[in-house]
Amino acid sequence: NTISCLPRSFEYSQKNAVLVPAAALGVGGMLLYWLRSGRKIKTIDMGDGWWGSGERPLKGKEDESIRPFKIETSDKEIEDLHRRLDHFRFTPHVEGAAFHYGFNSSYLRKVVAYWRNQFDWRKQVEVLNKYPHFHTTIEGIDIHFIHVKPSYVPHGRAVQPLLMVHGWPGSFYEFYKIIPLLTEPARHGLNEGDVVFEVICPSIPGYGFSEAPHQKGFDSIATARIFHKLMNRLGFKEYYLQGGDWGSRITTNMAQMLPQSVKGLHLNGVFMGKQGLGRMICIMLGAYVPWLVGLSREDARLFYPFMQKNVYDILRESGYLHIQATKPDTAGCGLNDSPVGLAAYILEKFSTWTDKSFLHKDDGGLESKYSLDELLTNVMIYWMTSSIVSSMRYYKENFSKDPNLNAYSGYGIYVPTGVAAFPQEIIHTPRVWAKDVYRNIISYSYMPRGGHFAAFEEPKLLAQDIMQFVRKVEQL
Amino acid sequence: EFCSSLAGIMLLEVFLVLGTLLIYFLFSKKKEETLPFKDGWWGKGQKPVTQEDTSVRPFKVETTEEELSDLFRRLDQARFTEPLENSCFHYGTNSMHLRKVVSYWKNQFNWKKQVEILNKYPQFKTKIQGIDIHFVHVKPPRLPEGQAAKPLLMVHGWPGSFYEFYKIIPLLTDPASHGLGDEHIFEVICPSIPGYGFSEAPHKKDFNSVSAASVFYELMLRLGFNEFYTQGGDWGWLICTNLAQIAPNHVKGLHLNMASVSKLGLTHLLSVLLGRYFPGLFGFQDEDVRRMFPFLKKGLYRILSESGYAHIQATKPDTVGCGLNDSPVGLAAYILEKFSSWTDMEFQNLEDGGLERKFSLDDLLTNVMIYWVSGCIVSSMRFYKENLQKGIGTQKHEKLTVQVPTGIASFPNEILHTPQAWAKKKYTNIVSFHFMPRGGHFAAFEEPELLAKDILQFVGKVEKEQLWKKK
Repeated sequence: NTISCLPRSFEYSQKNAVLVPAAALGVGGMLLYWLRSGRKIKTIDMGDGWWGSGERPLKGKEDESIRPFKIETSDKEIEDLHRRLDHFRFTPHVEGAAFHYGFNSSYLRKVVAYWRNQFDWRKQVEVLNKYPHFHTTIEGIDIHFIHVKPSYVPHGRAVQPLLMVHGWPGSFYEFYKIIPLLTEPARHGLNEGDVVFEVICPSIPGYGFSEAPHQKGFDSIATARIFHKLMNRLGFKEYYLQGGDWGSRITTNMAQMLPQSVKGLHLNGVFMGKQGLGRMICIMLGAYVPWLVGLSREDARLFYPFMQKNVYDILRESGYLHIQATKPDTAGCGLNDSPVGLAAYILEKFSTWTDKSFLHKDDGGLESKYSLDELLTNVMIYWMTSSIVSSMRYYKENFSKDPNLNAYSGYGIYVPTGVAAFPQEIIHTPRVWAKDVYRNIISYSYMPRGGHFAAFEEPKLLAQDIMQFVRKVEQL
Repeated sequence: EFCSSLAGIMLLEVFLVLGTLLIYFLFSKKKEETLPFKDGWWGKGQKPVTQEDTSVRPFKVETTEEELSDLFRRLDQARFTEPLENSCFHYGTNSMHLRKVVSYWKNQFNWKKQVEILNKYPQFKTKIQGIDIHFVHVKPPRLPEGQAAKPLLMVHGWPGSFYEFYKIIPLLTDPASHGLGDEHIFEVICPSIPGYGFSEAPHKKDFNSVSAASVFYELMLRLGFNEFYTQGGDWGWLICTNLAQIAPNHVKGLHLNMASVSKLGLTHLLSVLLGRYFPGLFGFQDEDVRRMFPFLKKGLYRILSESGYAHIQATKPDTVGCGLNDSPVGLAAYILEKFSSWTDMEFQNLEDGGLERKFSLDDLLTNVMIYWVSGCIVSSMRFYKENLQKGIGTQKHEKLTVQVPTGIASFPNEILHTPQAWAKKKYTNIVSFHFMPRGGHFAAFEEPELLAKDILQFVGKVEKEQLWKKK
């Protein structure tokens, strides 16, 4: 009875004295935890890998030397090529085919004639060698890259390291026209500004002069890790990344793996996986009331009619992807043996992915945006290095693990990101959707013209966008 | 939040519409009309005013030294890419094994001898709708008193050819000598689909399965056959089906070793989801369940992993075929891969793709050589585009049924299994449906005796019915 006799006010105040701070601590603690966990960025585990032949050697450290390299050719190589071009067996196309059945064989004959009689591979090799090339061994395979430094740096100006990654069926060569605009902008009439780059363009393992992995499982995560190791080996702690096609995926993975090393990520192609029912409904609504679902007018113009542009067009253009993601060794076999077959396969993409309307042209509109010399030099890189099969295997390695290409989207990308949306890109990703994955987009530009091979086709436009993006990042 | 309540309303609307459609489809009957004959002109340029030459000219496969030395040169200079370690046939044709095949091809395969084998059956060419149609025509060596040979049109597919039938032909034209009983004896006609082998390729767009069926219909009429049987698998399945839809009064019976259904609806979806647990409800037999489930592995995943070739051929045939017409090794890799996985999906786990388990290298390479010497790989691929470019399930013939007596031989290693419950919605007059004990996609090539027996029993049933049942 003595307990129940305690005055109420005393009970209350004692209880409050304990409960309120306890509650405050509890709530405060939960709040802190929630805030921290929301803030805590999940990164992709770096892991490790071995891609050389046979077993990984137990003893000894990997040779980390960086060896200069020059592309070479020989009479034997060129004669073999010419012989194959001479003996090409041609199939007439159906009447009125244009590029609707694939590469038009009448136009192909003209390309082959040029390739045989006018294209000068030795001269192109000199062009390729104008930038310094190197090899270095990482995770058991030789990684090829070019490294271009500005010839002149104004006093006190910082030089930003920029890693640019190509895709399929491209190569490091796609960047040859944009490199000078980035290393010496003033000389090319670009805003002098305060941004100057030193550019590193590696070849993805299995492409061009980078050795192909000998083991299964080489995907974009492994590539991302190897490229981080490359930059590290070159002495860079922080750098910018730029990419399209596979380059977009690889640089994205790099930003997810080591965000502290990535000052900024610039993409000219954003590929997102499927998103679910909510997205489907927003797509359906967006055709009629784009503003309601966050799409801009330009987004709507590029994205609709949805079935036509997204479903039919993708089905029509993704046959290569389907066969390469399932049977790369079959698909590439003949292409490594027939240079004309290889050219038809690769150049078809340079036609359709540059401008979809090129399908209706007998010559695929190829020479309206590129020179035959440039196009064939890229093809020659695949031919001379016999890398078509290994380049195709990349599709299987990536799609087998991740059929929706979600790019670990659950992880999000928090580094400052810039997107250059080119009108003729195969698929358009509106900013409002890109934001779901790229959580820190500080620049999103609708480019006035250009397609998939942005650096190759519109180097100046792309360079300007990269520079304005980097300027923004530097000011942050 | 606005999106989600709006989403809720939209979902409801979608379900209402789906529900209505479901009721409609469950209760609607497929039309029983005939498919119209598709006339056409597939030759180069304008159709001439003069009458077409309808003569049937004998044809012999020939080869030259030049052809052979060109082939050997290409085989010698082939550029191979080392396979990934331990990849077997999972990435496609394994190039280590391919090297062995190429070595055999160069050193032991005797094309001249194979050409003689090809020429052992009489072959002909005749011009129909502007293009030369090649066909094999084999009559029975002897006929019992009073018995007439039954004409049988057998149609190949891709990447096969008329050569696939060379082992089954004697079992059908001379069954008695092969222990099969002589109640039914056939004269067999095996044409090459236009764009395949020694048949001329169409020069115009739009040559699809209905066009091929129309051309073969004209062929049979030209050869003097008013009533005949048809047999096919792969594209042959579709062409023979179309032929039965175009001319049901001329096709006595349709025998198929592959019977796909392309008009899939909600019932199919439901039966895939629930058929494993309630097979009886969906008309599935035990063997159906064994072959179809688990559906993800044997249905969906298989379709995705095996249809890359169809996808690219249906969209960019001229691109993908280009290199294959220039590299015999590439052509062999592309074609032989199918003779591996479509004979048995498990062969992908073997270093040699199990290629020689069911076929001889001579037979496999003879088929590849037909594509090589005729230069037809590109035109053979265009057939996919002409048939599939508008999408699956959209064409008129896919919506029509087949009333002609049909026999289906269902082989266990066929790429996809079609249960009778599904097939009978399209083939309304299935007279026989048998689960074969072994064999895959290239039934006539791999298991000629099994297939011949099934054809014979089917024809037996049809003939018996024909006697007392008028159409």
